[in-house]
Amino acid sequence: MSAHNTKDQKDKVVHVYDGIEECDNALPRWWLWIFFGTITFGAAYWLSAEAFKTTASPRAAYQAEMDLVAAEEAQKMKALGSVTNESLAALAKDGKSLEDGKTVFATTCAPCHAATGGGGIGPNLTDEFWMHGGAPTKIYGTIKDGVVAKGMPAWGGSLGEERVRLVSAYVLTLKNTKAPGGKAPQGEPEL
Amino acid sequence: MSQVIAAKQEVKKITYDDSLARWFVFASVGWGIVAMLIGVIAALQLAFFKANVYPMFNFGRLRPLHTNAAIFAFVGNMMFAGVYYSTQRLVKARIASSKLGRIHFWGWQAIIVAAAVSLPLGFTQGKEYAELEWPIDIAIAAVWVVFAVNFFWTLYKRHEKQLYVAVWFYIATIVTVAVLHIVNSLAIPVTWFKSYSVYGGAQDALVQWWYGHNAVAFFLTTPILGIMYYFVPKAAERPVYSYRLSIIHFWALVFMYIWAGPHHLLNTALPDWAQTLGMIFSVALIAPSWGGMLNGLFTIRGAWDKVRTDPVLKFFVAGLTFYGMATFEGPLLSIKSVSALAHYTDWIVGHVHAGALGWNGFLAAGMFYWMVPRLFGTTLYSKRAAEWHFWIGTIGILLYVVSMWVSGITQGLMLRAIDAKGALMHPSFMATLDAIKPMYWMRLIGGLMYFTGMCMMAWNLVKTARQGKAVDGTTEVVVDVVEVEEKVPARKIVFGWPVITSAVCILVLGGIALTDGIGAGAFIILAACIAFGAVFIGWTLKDDSKPGWHSMVEGRTMIFTVLTVIAVLIGGVAEIIPAIVIPNSGAGTKALAGKETHPYRALELEGRDVYLKEGCYNCHSQMIRPFRHETLRYGDLSTLNDSKFDHPFQWGSKRTGPDLSRLGGKYPNLWHYQHMLDPRSVSTGSNMPNYDHLAKASIDWSNTESKLRAMRAVGVPYTPQQVQSAVADAKSQAAEVTADLAQNGAKVSPDSELVALIAYLQRLGKNAPPPAPAKTQTVSMH
Repeated sequence: MSAHNTKDQKDKVVHVYDGIEECDNALPRWWLWIFFGTITFGAAYWLSAEAFKTTASPRAAYQAEMDLVAAEEAQKMKALGSVTNESLAALAKDGKSLEDGKTVFATTCAPCHAATGGGGIGPNLTDEFWMHGGAPTKIYGTIKDGVVAKGMPAWGGSLGEERVRLVSAYVLTLKNTKAPGGKAPQGEPEL
Repeated sequence: MSQVIAAKQEVKKITYDDSLARWFVFASVGWGIVAMLIGVIAALQLAFFKANVYPMFNFGRLRPLHTNAAIFAFVGNMMFAGVYYSTQRLVKARIASSKLGRIHFWGWQAIIVAAAVSLPLGFTQGKEYAELEWPIDIAIAAVWVVFAVNFFWTLYKRHEKQLYVAVWFYIATIVTVAVLHIVNSLAIPVTWFKSYSVYGGAQDALVQWWYGHNAVAFFLTTPILGIMYYFVPKAAERPVYSYRLSIIHFWALVFMYIWAGPHHLLNTALPDWAQTLGMIFSVALIAPSWGGMLNGLFTIRGAWDKVRTDPVLKFFVAGLTFYGMATFEGPLLSIKSVSALAHYTDWIVGHVHAGALGWNGFLAAGMFYWMVPRLFGTTLYSKRAAEWHFWIGTIGILLYVVSMWVSGITQGLMLRAIDAKGALMHPSFMATLDAIKPMYWMRLIGGLMYFTGMCMMAWNLVKTARQGKAVDGTTEVVVDVVEVEEKVPARKIVFGWPVITSAVCILVLGGIALTDGIGAGAFIILAACIAFGAVFIGWTLKDDSKPGWHSMVEGRTMIFTVLTVIAVLIGGVAEIIPAIVIPNSGAGTKALAGKETHPYRALELEGRDVYLKEGCYNCHSQMIRPFRHETLRYGDLSTLNDSKFDHPFQWGSKRTGPDLSRLGGKYPNLWHYQHMLDPRSVSTGSNMPNYDHLAKASIDWSNTESKLRAMRAVGVPYTPQQVQSAVADAKSQAAEVTADLAQNGAKVSPDSELVALIAYLQRLGKNAPPPAPAKTQTVSMH
């Protein structure tokens, strides 16, 4: 068994346990580089992240990004223009916008309001009754900020401003379509 | 150094007790098949929700059973087989007590059976890999002590003065697992089957992942490295490559591993300093881990011709390679920015399976194929079947790991994608699940292949045992009749220069906690100078004619064990003690703490227990990390106070479904009702099981008061009055929820678990104060 290693001084056997021979070869140079390199990295990273705070913590980095985003958002809102009854009504007449709005509706709204808008967990959107107002900007506000007490989630965050406008426009087109099998009216008739 | 002053020597014949190894091998194979079968079923359930056929075997309950069986039943029994077999031979002594060995064996199997029964029944502490309830936890501790006593007693009776590196790893395993298990399992019992962790929120997170990560380190790694150090040179018939490499990687591994736990909590509400420690120690673990791989692979070096023909060596080479891969991937995943993408996704699932199937499974297979023929005085029944097992297993692992890489990275990228307009590109979570579904099928195929190989091995080993006859190994040793006198006093070893140098360096580095940036830099440089200076001086003063310090330690079990315990404890103490004695410790924690929180109302607490029982935490997190896509998708950042009263914490580790931290009030009760009955009715494409059985199951109100009392005992500020009126308050809240549901056309009993669960889910992220006790309430929801 020990025939292999007698020819090479490098592989000199220093111990034997239960027939297992043990050599004491030098540590591979590249292994030592990784060993000391990663420890050095650790020390440097600690100094940078914790001691001198020059590397931002996850939360600090997030805050900085959000500040930046807030400024961009303000710009974009300006570009999109303010939301008015008229601007939403105009969107509701644009075929491409309605198509996009419908896609959002199918994935986000249909589970509670049904694919037709006839309602289920949430109220019927195809009658003339509205719980939180039927004016375009009211519908927009309900979708964006939600009505938490009534179980309507706020979609502004996950959908984003533009999608909220598109889906609001789409909902406008559902008004008074009287989907068959729709839920009984809730709320007040729109004047 | 000891001096032999033997007046007389005699030759003694020792017969090893190999029956223990024989039993543990077959227990491991049997439970391994069970564990992997459950894994295959769980994989199918993720791809095909209808495979959740019965509430007791829903994914949320099977997944803990799968992980516990794989870790503690399959690898546990394998480890014991290897430890009993190799330790006796390495120290040239029969196991001290065969009776204790038998108690260990049957006790461990009884614990596994208890786990297999209690987990599907929903008895759980709700902490990953530590789900078993408190009576079983106590049994585990007791059986572990039996194992430890028997092991150290055997070392005491040894005829080999020096301890081989395999035994070092066994020592580290035995003492560390005991510490981890006991500290993490501390809980206040409510009933025989229910308890609450004494830790809550971020503290529980830190303790749990200190445990969870080191279960990987000291249950799945160190004992297997010890086994590797025995069986690889045996099978290769080649000398171990480097003694000094084994010294360095052993001490570096046991010291550093303990610190790495917080890498499971990167970017969470855990204070930054703990996250950073977790990250840097994880990165620094590459070399110590690879030290083990190198010593194994370099040992096989020169025997490559044998690898071609010997399935045992094939398993060892592949196992060591998977170990190297997993221990490179682990540090990579521990970098904060990589974790941002990979955490909560299937990438982590792939990572752990590279380790479990590749490293543990293949080392186990290699060891079994080598050992079983020897345990039965015969040769392996079918070498060809073993070859087939190797190839089918290897392809299975690759399919598994690659599909999980693709799935994890795909989902991670989709969830974080934000379009040019600043909105989420995939606002629907289900869209990301749809995208990875094919990968779930591919993983299932990989798992099935691996499982098939496992079954082939079982057949092969049984056939091997059948064709042979149980034989116990023997050896002859020369025994000194007169006692050996220890010439070097213990204190000279305990206070040897490596110990003093390490202690001084750690004290100096500890000073970092008390100082500013410049001070920290100075302490780091000082510690580095001391360490290098000491090593340099030690090197120059080295006298080759005298035994080195380490070889003296190797001859003293007690000193070796104590030094190991100290090395292991430092990291845990440094991370956990500050987090417990100084709540919310660390800079910037005021913002981290967030708004004041109120304890759960009694019904919500009952609902939370339903959440735990059903294992919801296996698929849902409650931790919104500081990323724009997460706050857009899930709501405001999670804070420390959000989970302050959570015993145990429920931050989770995987998002098969969306995060639930801020679910409260997002949807009406009716939505939850329908979603629980049939998730697909409101969430198209969901793979969540139906939980309609919750509508029929009733809450046992007789425990509610004890639950609040137990919570009070672990520090949740319930008033005695709240404890007393717990049931009344729960029932009044249940009546409100039920009335709201009834109004919307859904009829459900107010005593049902479903109502309690809805109350809990509607509470998440709301932190509403409890209603004033005196006046009767007519509040609708929140």
